[in-house]
Amino acid sequence: MMQIVLNNNLLELLPERALWWPDRRLLMIADVHLGKDQVFRRHGIAIPGSVLHSELEALSRMVGRYRPEQLLVLGDWVHAPPSADDDWPETVRRWRTVHGQLSIDLVLGNHDRRLDAWLSQWRMGRIDHALELDGLQLIHAVDAEQAEIKPGVSGHWHPCVHLRSGRESLRMPAFALRDQHLILPSFGRFTGGMDGLEQYGWQLLAVAGQRIAAINPP
Amino acid sequence: MLDFQRQAWSAFAQGQSGLIHAPTGSGKTLAAWGGAVNQLVDVTPRTGLNVLWITPLRALAADTSRALNRPLAALGKPDMVAMRTGDTSAYRRKKLIEQPPPALVTTPESLSLMLSYADAPSRMKSIQAVFVDEWHELLGSKRGVLLQLALARLRSLNPVLQVWGLSATVGNLEEACAALMPVGHTGTCIQGRTDRPLEIETLLPESLQRFPLAGRMGLTQLPSVTQRIEQAESTLVFTNTRNQAENWYGAIQSVSAEPERIALHHGSIDRALRDHAEQGLADGSLKCVVATSSLDLGVDFSPVDQVIQIGSPKGIARLIQRAGRSGHRPGASARLICVPTHALEVLELAAVRARIEQRRVESREPIRLALDVLSQHLVTVAMGGGFEADTMIDEVRSCPAFHELSRHQWQWTLDFITRGGPALQAYPNFHKVVESNGRMRVSNRRIAMLHRLNIGTISADGALQVKFVKGGSLGQVEERFITRLRPGDRFIFAGRSLELVRVRDMTAYVKKSSSKKATVPSWAGGRMPLSTLLADGMLNLFNAYADNQLPAGAEIQHVLPLLEQQQRQSGLPGTGRLLIEQLTSRDGAHLFLYPFAGRLAHEGLAALIAWRLAQLAPVTFSITVNDYGMELLSARPLQPSVEQWRQVLSVEHLERDIRRSLDAANMAKYHFRDIARVAGMVQRGFPGKNKPMRHLQASSGLIFDVLKEHDPDHLLLEQAQREVLEGQLEFQRIHAALDRATGQAIVLKQTDRLTPLAFPLWADRLRSQLSSEDWQARVDRMLGSLEQRVGSE
Repeated sequence: MMQIVLNNNLLELLPERALWWPDRRLLMIADVHLGKDQVFRRHGIAIPGSVLHSELEALSRMVGRYRPEQLLVLGDWVHAPPSADDDWPETVRRWRTVHGQLSIDLVLGNHDRRLDAWLSQWRMGRIDHALELDGLQLIHAVDAEQAEIKPGVSGHWHPCVHLRSGRESLRMPAFALRDQHLILPSFGRFTGGMDGLEQYGWQLLAVAGQRIAAINPP
Repeated sequence: MLDFQRQAWSAFAQGQSGLIHAPTGSGKTLAAWGGAVNQLVDVTPRTGLNVLWITPLRALAADTSRALNRPLAALGKPDMVAMRTGDTSAYRRKKLIEQPPPALVTTPESLSLMLSYADAPSRMKSIQAVFVDEWHELLGSKRGVLLQLALARLRSLNPVLQVWGLSATVGNLEEACAALMPVGHTGTCIQGRTDRPLEIETLLPESLQRFPLAGRMGLTQLPSVTQRIEQAESTLVFTNTRNQAENWYGAIQSVSAEPERIALHHGSIDRALRDHAEQGLADGSLKCVVATSSLDLGVDFSPVDQVIQIGSPKGIARLIQRAGRSGHRPGASARLICVPTHALEVLELAAVRARIEQRRVESREPIRLALDVLSQHLVTVAMGGGFEADTMIDEVRSCPAFHELSRHQWQWTLDFITRGGPALQAYPNFHKVVESNGRMRVSNRRIAMLHRLNIGTISADGALQVKFVKGGSLGQVEERFITRLRPGDRFIFAGRSLELVRVRDMTAYVKKSSSKKATVPSWAGGRMPLSTLLADGMLNLFNAYADNQLPAGAEIQHVLPLLEQQQRQSGLPGTGRLLIEQLTSRDGAHLFLYPFAGRLAHEGLAALIAWRLAQLAPVTFSITVNDYGMELLSARPLQPSVEQWRQVLSVEHLERDIRRSLDAANMAKYHFRDIARVAGMVQRGFPGKNKPMRHLQASSGLIFDVLKEHDPDHLLLEQAQREVLEGQLEFQRIHAALDRATGQAIVLKQTDRLTPLAFPLWADRLRSQLSSEDWQARVDRMLGSLEQRVGSE
């Protein structure tokens, strides 16, 4: 766990690839990409269906540990709109009933298309562009290459750190921080990542096992 | 007409199949083709495709079809031979299907693609004969496996199909021949005209003292090489790596009076630039072309005056192949000028000479049980008319590559393509291949389209286009190389100094760099390990030195002082002696071992030895390897006894210990990318097409992790492990080296300074850290070294 302050708000970076806002009991994640495994299978690429279950289990574990009042998903909750004969949205619905007390909202990401019917089934609130909270803009994506960035939190880029030392090489998901703005790592395990955000002045905070490590100077 | 040609024609006329082996430029093509010409002359039009000619390189297809058309045209039958490769336009491909030519030149991948069309069985059963050119190039690769499967398919359509391979000399000719035949058939082996006399000259520097003991470029010999180039009309300079090719090209150009008549040729350079080099050498407008193995193949590649080989060829077969590029005049001998890059390479060349006198050539081992290729092929056949599982297994097992396919492996592969995996509910809504009326078919058009794009990814390392930001293509470079660079990094490519600007959509955008200081690309993949045949040849020379029976020769004379110094300071290795040197320096305690098993095997062997030594007493090593041996450097002094060495070098539990000592899991993950590509689990990026199917992008590493977590018994994961052991680490050679060590005397020598054998290892940069730390500690250490690096900038 690592604490940071964004525009006077204390936030905790969690090794579960999530952000915890203790004052609001608000948990933030981004880029879960549910149903990605099914998209692959439809195209003849055999990815196991249990990928979905393990994402939901990881979410459940985290909700059990931090007991949030609200879960805010910063976009790309799903990978693609579900097809009529997909059964994974139903699995998500069953998962949702287990966490009935939790309020869940989704800031729409570029992958979250044609979801309205399912969002109501999943009892998820829909935020079209961004949510403003205590001077923080909570949004799906910012232009990471641009100089001007508003204070806030976002996702979309799936930041990663690629370490090399001699012949060893290690790739880890990371948070990216710059100018009071934090980009979350992707929550979904079956998602790729992007190296090189540090070129645009981002400080990378790598998720290394159970700890968060800053690996380049701010 | 030559004897072996007549022999081949008559064997063909009798309906036999087999292999014709002869060196490049000795009339092999005509020997094979003659039989088909006799048959084709009688072919009435519109009987469909009759003969296939398979070539390993699509770049060769045009030349080949021209050469094959010539004898037919002379008999009044022009335009009988057409070609079809990945470069053929869709319109032309359609035409070739509607009005098939009597004969077609194509590649293994293109053949596979032809088998994927729904009407393939009816269109392809007319094929009577298949010729496989440069079979030795395909034999040891997965492309060869794919071809074996395609041949089995054609044989099922036409049981009297004749198959003839054409091959340069390899050590295992009978196996090479059998690999083209159905299991149980040996085929007819026809020996071509014996090898042309081969003259090897070694360019030796004036004195050994002026010769570096280590180093890979060999540019100290530039003056004598340029002198040779000036003296000849045309010269082909072969190097072992692109790195070396780029360096030598730059160097030769900088001292040449006519730099515009020097060209560069390697696999990553744009086709147009390569064509320019090939054409220029043929028409005499170029004086010299610097090339890598990219020019090893070629049918009618016009001969040059002389061939220069920079560095050791690392193998006999390769040397013969390259020498064959010179002076194709009948009766003339093939000439090769070898330019050693360091002193010990002179000894390698002496070993080359000895082996050539003994007429020994390396073998190429065929690949077996590649389930990734099998699953690709099965999907192809499911598209091309479908198959019945019960008869298909026999067809597959008729290939030597799958003769030992177990029921379990077969069933697993079927499950993999029909429902994702053996467990019933593990892969919901997966319908790649579906069974209908007892036949396996692909019914989904989108899946069929993706599969067609996927055929032919065999052997393709992820390649990125290299383009100028302002436009203009320079060629292709391996993903592995580019991903190591950061924007702003400089590198030399296609003879130019470039700066990386950005990487987008499978394209590396670059701009010209004014600075000559560049991180020159080091394509490690190009570095072949020294072949066993040559390595043993060197040990034989050490034996001969000890027995005072060294052969005469300029090379031997040249390195004699070096051998004497090695003997004086320490001792010499040999087939019966494993030399181990111990030395203490400022850096720490050095252990040098010289098993002469080649660089790849030494990597695995060194890791194994380090791991086993660490079991005796906790210690961390820095490891360096080369083709001759290895260095293990530790901070703490370590002097194992002969008995302890016996333990450390034991063959027992070899595989288990190798897996423990190396990060085998991580290596397998890295290797999995090739398997995933062949099996259609990752989609290839399409150079030129932007945004390639974004929603289907997942790295093979990611898929590896997902499968490992959710389907740990996946046979493709197991295959990755196996291929890493056998291919990457040369497990067989490690095993053989330890086996030999059991019978060897272990010679322990304490030295007070570096010996000639030790020096190159010491100087070598390739170092790796072996440690038994846990993962978290490893992260910490890597973070630490990174922070240090950042801090020092």
